[in-house]
Amino acid sequence: MPLWFARGLRRGVVTTRYPARPDESAAWLPTPPAFRSRQLTRDVADRMVAVCPATALRRRDDTLIFDVGACTACGRCAETAPDAVAPSGEFELAATARSALIKEIPIRGGGR
Amino acid sequence: MNPGRDEAEAARRLRDTISTQFGRSLHIRTLDTGSCAVCEQEIRLLTAPHYDLHRLGFFFTPAPRHADLLLVTGPMIRAFDVAARKTYEAMPGPKVVVATGACALGGVYPKDPFVHGNAGEVLPVDVWIPGCPPSPLALLHGLGVAVGRLAEMTPGLTFIADSAAGGGEA
Amino acid sequence: MNPLDILYGAAGAWLAAAVAGLLAGSWRPGLRACCGLSALAGAAAAAAGGWSLVYGNTPVVAPGPATIVGGPLQLQMTSLAGVFVALLGIVAVALALYVPRYHEPSRGTGVYLAACNLALLACLAVLAAGGMVTFLVAWETMSLACYLIILRHPRSGETARGAFWFLALSEIGFLLIVAAFVILSAKTHATELDMMAARGHLVPGGWRAAAYLLALAGFGFKAGLVPLHVWLPEAHPVAPADGSAFLSGVVVKLGAYGIVLFAFRLVPVAGPWPGLVTMGAGAASAAIGILYALAERDIKRFLAYSTIENTGIIVTAFGAAMVFRAYHQLALSAFLLIAGLYHVANHGCYKTLLFLEAGVVEHATGTRDMDRLGGLVHRLPRSAVIAFVGTLGIAALPPLNGFVSEWLIFQGLFQGFRTGSHLTAILIVLAAATLGLTGGLAIYAFVRGFGIPFLGMPRTRQAAAARETGQPVAGPALLAVACVALAVGAPVMLAALSRTARTVTGTSLGPLLLPGKLTVIPAHADFSAFSPTYLTIFLVAACAVPVLVYLAGRPRAASVSVPVWDGGMVSFRPRMQYSAMTFSAPTRVTFDALYRPSVSVRRASDDDPAGRSGPVHYEAQVTPVFERYLYRPVVRAVEWLADVIRPLQSGDVNLYLLYVFLVILLAYLLGAV
Repeated sequence: MPLWFARGLRRGVVTTRYPARPDESAAWLPTPPAFRSRQLTRDVADRMVAVCPATALRRRDDTLIFDVGACTACGRCAETAPDAVAPSGEFELAATARSALIKEIPIRGGGR
Repeated sequence: MNPGRDEAEAARRLRDTISTQFGRSLHIRTLDTGSCAVCEQEIRLLTAPHYDLHRLGFFFTPAPRHADLLLVTGPMIRAFDVAARKTYEAMPGPKVVVATGACALGGVYPKDPFVHGNAGEVLPVDVWIPGCPPSPLALLHGLGVAVGRLAEMTPGLTFIADSAAGGGEA
Repeated sequence: MNPLDILYGAAGAWLAAAVAGLLAGSWRPGLRACCGLSALAGAAAAAAGGWSLVYGNTPVVAPGPATIVGGPLQLQMTSLAGVFVALLGIVAVALALYVPRYHEPSRGTGVYLAACNLALLACLAVLAAGGMVTFLVAWETMSLACYLIILRHPRSGETARGAFWFLALSEIGFLLIVAAFVILSAKTHATELDMMAARGHLVPGGWRAAAYLLALAGFGFKAGLVPLHVWLPEAHPVAPADGSAFLSGVVVKLGAYGIVLFAFRLVPVAGPWPGLVTMGAGAASAAIGILYALAERDIKRFLAYSTIENTGIIVTAFGAAMVFRAYHQLALSAFLLIAGLYHVANHGCYKTLLFLEAGVVEHATGTRDMDRLGGLVHRLPRSAVIAFVGTLGIAALPPLNGFVSEWLIFQGLFQGFRTGSHLTAILIVLAAATLGLTGGLAIYAFVRGFGIPFLGMPRTRQAAAARETGQPVAGPALLAVACVALAVGAPVMLAALSRTARTVTGTSLGPLLLPGKLTVIPAHADFSAFSPTYLTIFLVAACAVPVLVYLAGRPRAASVSVPVWDGGMVSFRPRMQYSAMTFSAPTRVTFDALYRPSVSVRRASDDDPAGRSGPVHYEAQVTPVFERYLYRPVVRAVEWLADVIRPLQSGDVNLYLLYVFLVILLAYLLGAV
């Protein structure tokens, strides 16, 4: 018991200060992707739609519709098109309206 | 895409009510509607020393009669309909429903004979927390949004990373 | 004018009621007339009993040249019997209000009513007996009348069995009582109780002890001391509700009256050990009674065992009073006597009430089994409220009367250290601890006894179909009012009882008992003080404050009525609730050395533990320890003896003539010697 107490005193406070202050461990979290619209082509978009296991991606004409709520941060779209996708680093994603979680990404890359 | 005006209005009114009623003390009842239990592990981690839910005045309770907030995980299998409605109705008002995890938000499982696929089909969800699983930090943020202590970030995010440095959002 | 004169009126009214019942009981107007007379008699008896508490003993009266069975009819109204007579009166009035709505006038009703009123009259005669012969004749009449009461509805063999147990044990007890009285009478050469008491010094010590023990055992059969209690759970379920109420409310108390009569008036023994034996028997009865009550599903068997428990408490109080007297702690002795008599009055009221309500429930639902009832508080609301008052009383919860009397008994027992003898003090503390265990188990038992039938959801269709219309309410309601009055009027009651104690023991407790008229001090001012009146006021105020706060700050939102939270189950069935046996299962596990439960489980096929191929039969039984290990061997010994003797009665005339010849020869030889 005293050993545990002494060890605890040495460790110090481990509790995070979030939400008053940012938490360092947030940098390691897997997060939904952010897309580089200039690297996106319709082809790339279709490949990403096909590989997404959670139906988070859909393509409508020249818009990639990304459902942040459905995304599981598996990373398959990043594997398929590494230069079009980057981790967004956002984890504070709560929304009061479901529609606020559906984002539209314009497809601006050239090509088919 | 901006959220509809009446949705935002209703959300704001609710948040005002919740904020004044609950202050800094909230009792949360978790409801697992058929999840893989990883969301539950993250929720349980909230009581661990690193995240420590209790310092924010949030507590878990098993009794819906004592609960203010219903935290729903899982894709809402149809066999659970009655239990979910009963749990919601057993909570005294005012009450908030928070759906968390990609399953409850309608992402992973499509609607089929066994599963609704989306918690919002059975319960009136007020706050949606994405993630698979949502990290405890995301859950803390979501709970803070639900009681009106923290601001929503998603309307301002575009998930477009077009700057030369890459990463982040515009 | 003394209380005895009023009792003549009561006796006459009961006799008239018996005759009216016998002649006209099978028609509704006759039934009502009989009950009306009985109620008048009861009111008169209650008044006389109350008066005699403060009046003191009347002189012995031999009304006219009446002789009954070899002795004169001698009557005397004593202060000691006053409580019992008052209780008899109140119970009689309550029963008279109850019977017209409970019984349907039919063929056997006339005999039944006559037996009831005869029993009431006989009880009165026992209590007002001034002489030995009157006492014994009245006692036996009461037993026989109660036997007829129990046999009201002979269905199958179980009624006959119950009545037979009652009669058999009554008769054995009667023999012992006769033996005790004969010893006393022979040694003192008197048949009047007053003279027996006055000449008590003529009885040598050994004979005194023998007389007291015989009386303890004989009256113990009637009072229900363990192991002499076996008739109670057999006879109560099969008797009609008012019959059971009368048995538990009055007849059992007469056993206690006999014990206190012998202990305090007729043959006070010098040493402490008779008191210790009495106290031990009482404490054991209390604990064993309530433990067996927790294993019962039948409401009336449950209440019968609870009667055994309360008899134990009363007898413990009387035994402790005897012990204190032996150590010259006269104030404490008088105090415990008062507490015991108070508990007699309290228990008489609420046990009668509970039995009457059990009858109402049985009448409305057709069953006495707790596991088939439930939700009756919505269907029989008035009965539920009245039964709740009775339950609060018997569970000894403040501020009702059961709490006051049990608290006083505890306060008396806790002062065991004043006896000065270590062994005695330890034994008294053990008795107090046993009573404490009993009190806790009693609350547990009565939460079960009220909660399972009345609260929750109905477990069967019969329980769901129960209706309040036509149920008797006035009788039980009167007893509920009496319970509350006994609690609120505790100072008055205690003042009257202290006058009684002065008459019986010669010790005046007046100034020590009620200083300022609202506080009770248990015989010694340096121990404790307790005020039932202030406690009641405080409890009512304490409960009122949150109610007022709520009413003042009530939220203005509309309230919604939603179903009970059942864990979200799709269909919650009433059978999923607690049952009476599962509620008391922890007790059966803890005390399994007493219960020796046997469980048998039969499945449709052996390799199917989940029971999917057919129904699973589960049977759990509590071993009837006293019947099996005490009574059955005695019965078998008697049967064996009878078998041995039977050849004497062969029916052969020549053998009988030989017997006659031998006896004459023997008499001649003895005469010649």
